[in-house]
Amino acid sequence: MPSSNGRYYAGCDIGSTTGKAVILDETRIVSSAIIPAEIDPEQTARKVLSKACEKINGLNGTDDFSYLVGTGYGRNEVPFANDNVSEISCHALGVHACDPSIKTIVDIGGQDVKGISINEDGSILEFAMNDKCAAGTGRFLEMMSKIFRMDLEAFSNLSLEAKHTIPVTSQCSVFAETEVISLLSKRKPPSEIAAGIQASVAKRSFTLLKRVGIRPKLTVTGGCSKNKGLLVALQKRLRMDITPLAEDPQLMGALGAAIMARRKAGSISQLTINR
Amino acid sequence: MNRPMPTHTHFFEDLLNDPMNYLVEASMDKGKIPIGYTCSYVPEVLLSVDPLIPIRIRAPGVLSTEIADIYLSSVICSYTRSVLEMAMDDQYGFLKGWVFAASCDHMRRLYDNMKYLNQADFIHILDVPHRHGNDSFSWYADELKMLLDNISSHHEIRFDQAALSRAIQDHNDFSALLTSIGDMRKPKNPPLSGTEFQAITLSSLVAPRQSILPKIQEFKESLSRQEGISDYRARLLIVGGQMDNLGYIRTIESTGGLVVADHLCTGSIPRLAPIRMDEDPVTAIAAHYLNRISCPRMMEAFDSRVDDIMKSIEEYRVDGVIIEFIKFCDTWGIESSLLANTLRKKGVPVLCLEREYQMTGEGQIKTRIQAFIESMGK
Repeated sequence: MPSSNGRYYAGCDIGSTTGKAVILDETRIVSSAIIPAEIDPEQTARKVLSKACEKINGLNGTDDFSYLVGTGYGRNEVPFANDNVSEISCHALGVHACDPSIKTIVDIGGQDVKGISINEDGSILEFAMNDKCAAGTGRFLEMMSKIFRMDLEAFSNLSLEAKHTIPVTSQCSVFAETEVISLLSKRKPPSEIAAGIQASVAKRSFTLLKRVGIRPKLTVTGGCSKNKGLLVALQKRLRMDITPLAEDPQLMGALGAAIMARRKAGSISQLTINR
Repeated sequence: MNRPMPTHTHFFEDLLNDPMNYLVEASMDKGKIPIGYTCSYVPEVLLSVDPLIPIRIRAPGVLSTEIADIYLSSVICSYTRSVLEMAMDDQYGFLKGWVFAASCDHMRRLYDNMKYLNQADFIHILDVPHRHGNDSFSWYADELKMLLDNISSHHEIRFDQAALSRAIQDHNDFSALLTSIGDMRKPKNPPLSGTEFQAITLSSLVAPRQSILPKIQEFKESLSRQEGISDYRARLLIVGGQMDNLGYIRTIESTGGLVVADHLCTGSIPRLAPIRMDEDPVTAIAAHYLNRISCPRMMEAFDSRVDDIMKSIEEYRVDGVIIEFIKFCDTWGIESSLLANTLRKKGVPVLCLEREYQMTGEGQIKTRIQAFIESMGK
């Protein structure tokens, strides 16, 4: 896929569970990749960028980027990046590029959940994030799905089958596991317990969002944006529609980082995201 | 901002690794009596009357609080837990007494448990009013007199006027020296970082002053040869309660922030303000500790605290304010919300940083600080 002037800009988002990369040329997204995270964040970065590069003729590796920005919890461990930017700024920037009318973001990743309110120009107006506790994160949902002997997709589908929601009150992963096992042993419908788990995560996101202010439109980013059951629970809790994005919402951090890379390299051409 | 610590700073940092440092040990060999205290409303100057030496209680290196958790409820802050844990591990055995202030419920519970479980040699709690005014002042001054009487009879020390005046003079001289170093953070390119300054202020809370005074003077002289710091992204003021772990400010500064001023109870403003020398020493000490603007435990003083912070923002050319507080701290938890809203209305960018007493979750703290700096367009 040839570029207008051979210049490429990359964003690399090293999360706790997955590595994401987005490559831009002067006008559009030319490649992207998502891989499971390695133990070593640097390895994750090399692999995911290499995978994204494979899709572009003449782009052989990180040296060929005009500018590379790292983001995510492993952003400081991308030694070949020109700069690093927090994932909060990157998600705001990525979402703003996809849909400038969005004002509020819930980013639910592997180990973090963040509420982000954004300005007209895509910069951060306010943000809040969970502390070291895993409550309300992808890791929590992963642990819960294991109790049901399911992968996350099946667990999400199961929660969508529920006619009612059985509340799961424990936010702590350890106590929630005990509570869920106890409910299952009482022969409560698994789909309703699963819906209760999704509702508890939605509630956690809601409290963070209240701290930053909820302004329409709102969207969900991060790996958990692919959990349809969670999106339904979140819509119910927020009493608000969740605006879908034209690009994969899990890539928003990497997209924001790539946009930042373009800016830092001085590119001023118009970027078009397919809407 | 990446800056190697000057050699002098390592000296101060080394004093913070354990509850007892070698300077305290050396002073004890010379007959000095170390007294531990937990709050800014315990007048450290009274505990510095010869042969006493004041030691601000810290709990460096506590990783878990299994024993303290048995005795304290789940909504007690991790500073209280860490101190009780360390006490139960006999880490404060070198202290010859404890002085607490009933500054918050958490400190009250710590006092109760220390009295019940640890049976310290000497233990005293000051009842500190929550309001300013003449009645409060008389009450607090009487409390200080009771403290003096109790220490005096227990350790057989005479607190005469001359000894008290000397302690005040030493306090003022020492505070003036630290303040003169703190003032060096006002220019655009200060010669020292917030981490370096905190290393000095904290070590002055846990080591005999006379032992570290020459090192602080040396450090100050070395600053004139130090190149000013210019590779920072934003100048920050940090506001909050007990923060006695260098890790937090170091983490903040590793993301490009430069902490140029602090309103911490273990910090410099207003702790280092001078005490009046022209009146009765106990009266002057009581006035200094009760009336200075510091802790949100004092009711009806919110506006003064805001004014004081705004003054520092101007003096130290601050770009943004970080309000830090330990989880479950009622006092700072409530203050942070009011303070953040008030400062934001005045156009000051604010980040509220809830944390644990021990440095944990470094990655998440870095993300918050970095995003805060980015949100200021820096």
